[in-house]
Amino acid sequence: MNENNLIEIRDLSIEFKLRSGTIRAVDHVSLDIPRGQVTALVGESGSGKSTLASAILNIVSAPGTIKNGSIFINGQDMLRYNANRLRQHRWADVSMVFQAAQNALNPVMRIGDQMIETVLAHQKMSKEEINKKASQLLDYVRLEPDRILKAYPHELSGGMKQRVMIAFSLLLDPQLVILDEPTTALDVITQDYIFDILLKVHKEMNITMLLLSHDISVVARVADRIGVMYAGKIVEVGETFEMFENAKHPYTAGLIQAAPSILDDVNDNRSIKGSSPNLLNLPPGCAFHPRCEFATDLCKQDEPRAISVDSGRISACHLNEKGEMLA
Amino acid sequence: MRGMIDFFRIICHNKRSLIGLIILVIFILMATAGPFIFKLNMTVDYNNRYLSPSLEHWLGTDFAGRDTFIQLVHGSKEVLLVGLLAAFFTLFVGALLGTLSGLVGGRLDAGIMLITNLFLTIPSFPILIIMAAIFSIRDPISFALVLSAWSWPGLTRAVRSQIISLKERDFIVICKVMGMSKPHIIFKELMPSITSFLSISFIMTMRGAITGSVGIMMLGLAPYSPTNWGQMLNLAVSQTGGIFNPLGFIYLFSPILCLAFFQLGSIFFANGIDEALNPRLRG
Amino acid sequence: MTPVIVLKRIGMAFVTVCLATVMTFVLLRLTPGNAIDAWARDYATQFGITLEEAYRRIAAMINYNPNEPLHEQFVRYISGLLHGNLGVSMVYQQITVNSIIANAMPWTIFVATISLFISFVIGMLLGVRMAWKRNSVLEPSVSLFTVITSAIPDFIFAILLLVVFAYGLNWFPVNGAYDPFVTPGFNLDFIVSVLYYATMPILTFVITNIGGWALMMKGNAVSVLGEDYIIAAKARGISESVIMNRYVMKNAMLPMITMLAITFGSMLGGATLIENIFQYPGIGYFLGEATRTRDYTVMQGIMLFLSVTMIVANLIADLVYSKLDPRIKVEG
Repeated sequence: MNENNLIEIRDLSIEFKLRSGTIRAVDHVSLDIPRGQVTALVGESGSGKSTLASAILNIVSAPGTIKNGSIFINGQDMLRYNANRLRQHRWADVSMVFQAAQNALNPVMRIGDQMIETVLAHQKMSKEEINKKASQLLDYVRLEPDRILKAYPHELSGGMKQRVMIAFSLLLDPQLVILDEPTTALDVITQDYIFDILLKVHKEMNITMLLLSHDISVVARVADRIGVMYAGKIVEVGETFEMFENAKHPYTAGLIQAAPSILDDVNDNRSIKGSSPNLLNLPPGCAFHPRCEFATDLCKQDEPRAISVDSGRISACHLNEKGEMLA
Repeated sequence: MRGMIDFFRIICHNKRSLIGLIILVIFILMATAGPFIFKLNMTVDYNNRYLSPSLEHWLGTDFAGRDTFIQLVHGSKEVLLVGLLAAFFTLFVGALLGTLSGLVGGRLDAGIMLITNLFLTIPSFPILIIMAAIFSIRDPISFALVLSAWSWPGLTRAVRSQIISLKERDFIVICKVMGMSKPHIIFKELMPSITSFLSISFIMTMRGAITGSVGIMMLGLAPYSPTNWGQMLNLAVSQTGGIFNPLGFIYLFSPILCLAFFQLGSIFFANGIDEALNPRLRG
Repeated sequence: MTPVIVLKRIGMAFVTVCLATVMTFVLLRLTPGNAIDAWARDYATQFGITLEEAYRRIAAMINYNPNEPLHEQFVRYISGLLHGNLGVSMVYQQITVNSIIANAMPWTIFVATISLFISFVIGMLLGVRMAWKRNSVLEPSVSLFTVITSAIPDFIFAILLLVVFAYGLNWFPVNGAYDPFVTPGFNLDFIVSVLYYATMPILTFVITNIGGWALMMKGNAVSVLGEDYIIAAKARGISESVIMNRYVMKNAMLPMITMLAITFGSMLGGATLIENIFQYPGIGYFLGEATRTRDYTVMQGIMLFLSVTMIVANLIADLVYSKLDPRIKVEG
């Protein structure tokens, strides 16, 4: 295991058995999450990123099951943890800020009480100490501790709840914080605000972060590295700046192009043609080929493997294998 | 006609409701054809008391020497009759008031709801027996009226909520916009949507009315017919017949079993109706 | 919940009580008048007074004079009520209706409360367990049990219990509230005797109600389990037992609180027959007696008492529920 990596995901596969068939939500995925950096995982809905992230906490929801693979954290495979160690791992090693935090808190308990409960589930601390720490964190995310600790979840606005969840995630000084679409369902101004806070947290506390989003332009602001997922597979991984300069996979290029910019003409149609893949009925060969303007016959037959195309760069496209770079 | 065939097909498909239907049919046969086939003879025959079941007396005889099975058969007619009548009255009043309340709204609605809530708060059975005591019950019709007096509020409230939720549904609003007349909307559009609900309510009301009728009779408040199951129970308990006399057990338990089976059959069948009539659950 | 809304609720309850009072009044005016007339005539001959005097004295006893115009009757009735006077029993004229109710009420409330408590608690625990372990044999057996117990009327169970356990096996007494040879009071013998005699009625109620509670709790618990905050709690490393108790049970229990009031009402109603079957001296038993003997004043008094009890119970349940669920923004 590479010392620079906090988390190493190796050959992870997660399946969902439905009545109409089986879905491979995560298909033989390998990914490194380096220590002290912000890694972003980008993909449309159904790409598998949320499922992948939930595996890091081993809370994949039924009917999903982890079919094979390992997730190494500091050299240990956390998927093999026993129940007790797993409970410890959750929140103390890795914590998560869920998508749409609207319903992530128990509606009949005060927020302060829930924070106390979370800490006491992991370590012995007096209530005063816990409250002190919670107040500090709430301050940090620019909320009023006195008011928030006594409040019930339904008394807060969406943006406030999201910030509470961020404070919550830092409660036990975790090594990794996963943020699943932290700003979806919020207006752009609050979005900006939240990202400011996230940057601050990362810089000042030096916490490793995994950021999930469908919007590549939004994460570009904070991410050091970006991984792109499509139909349950990793299609490209690389450093943010380099990726934007020179995307190696057509899908990544498409995502970057599709992101609107203030400087562009509104009439320029830049979206990726075609529609999202049907996970129950994936096309043969490369899953992206129906929407790819560079697709060749090989793409329609053979599934490309993810290979290292540069130092730290991974891409899963036949065009790279042949050595042809996309302009 | 097509609808009827589909309906029965779905009922028969579901095992539970099929059993329910069979049970109900048996009882209906017993109630309608039974009294003609088995003639009732209520003369007291002291020498033949408490006879065990035999070919002559299928369930033996009771404390006064009369055939238990034949009493049961005749009783079923009484029981079903009262239940049916009570369910009809309840359905008529409840559906009417509920629809009015839901459609018209405003103060009429508030007024009806106030009275309905009052009726619903007060426990029904005590009131029923008080009413039975006051209006002495001499025939099935007055019995049914008393029984339904306290069950229409429940139906009114339920129908009202159904109507209210339907009122705002798109297809009704479209009807209004298209200028269809009120009676048309009520009878051609709203009613069919709540048919499933009404049918189930009918069966459940009948069930409840029968339970209530047996209860009232057990207190000796409706002694107009000696073969009614409830009356049989009353006699069994009070005439030192059934409770601690082992010979009287059959007389005690047979109406109980009939009652239990009938109730179960109704519930099972009602389950099936929901599935068969509710257009959203089908297909 | 603001004081204004509390007052509004109490106001509604009060209005309902008034309506119940009027209804009782009307109902009892429908009694065959000859009952009072016959009594008046008997009374007159017995005490050697005029018929009018007899009517007047009877009116004083039961707050009802059928010869008066209706509105005067109503005034007499209401003023009697406001003095807490429900009149005397028409059959046993030395006994006031108040005393009958006062003596009978504790027994009924005792049995109803214990039954409600037992069936609610056990039903709740069963329901949570069923929601937690979805594939055990518990669920189908509880479902079957509930279907049977809800189909068969409760008094049938009472009869069955009586026949089997009291008469058949002689394990339990067949009537009464306590052993007549034990002196009432706060001594252990009495308490044990009371519980012993109450066992069968309580058992009847519990059998017929427990299935419903369990299934309802299970349904609520299952939908709570599907909520996001449950997974979020799991992600925070909170143990399963804490989740079950503090998250699932608390949230699933809330909608059932209103059912408590309704069930209490149905118990009061069902008590009528069951107390008669077990000869248990509660309100239901005396109501049964009163209907048999056509004791109209007792019937009237008990009916009013039951109505008021139920209205109050509903009000309490309403208020308690809104206190418990912090999400409720109560609309007036």
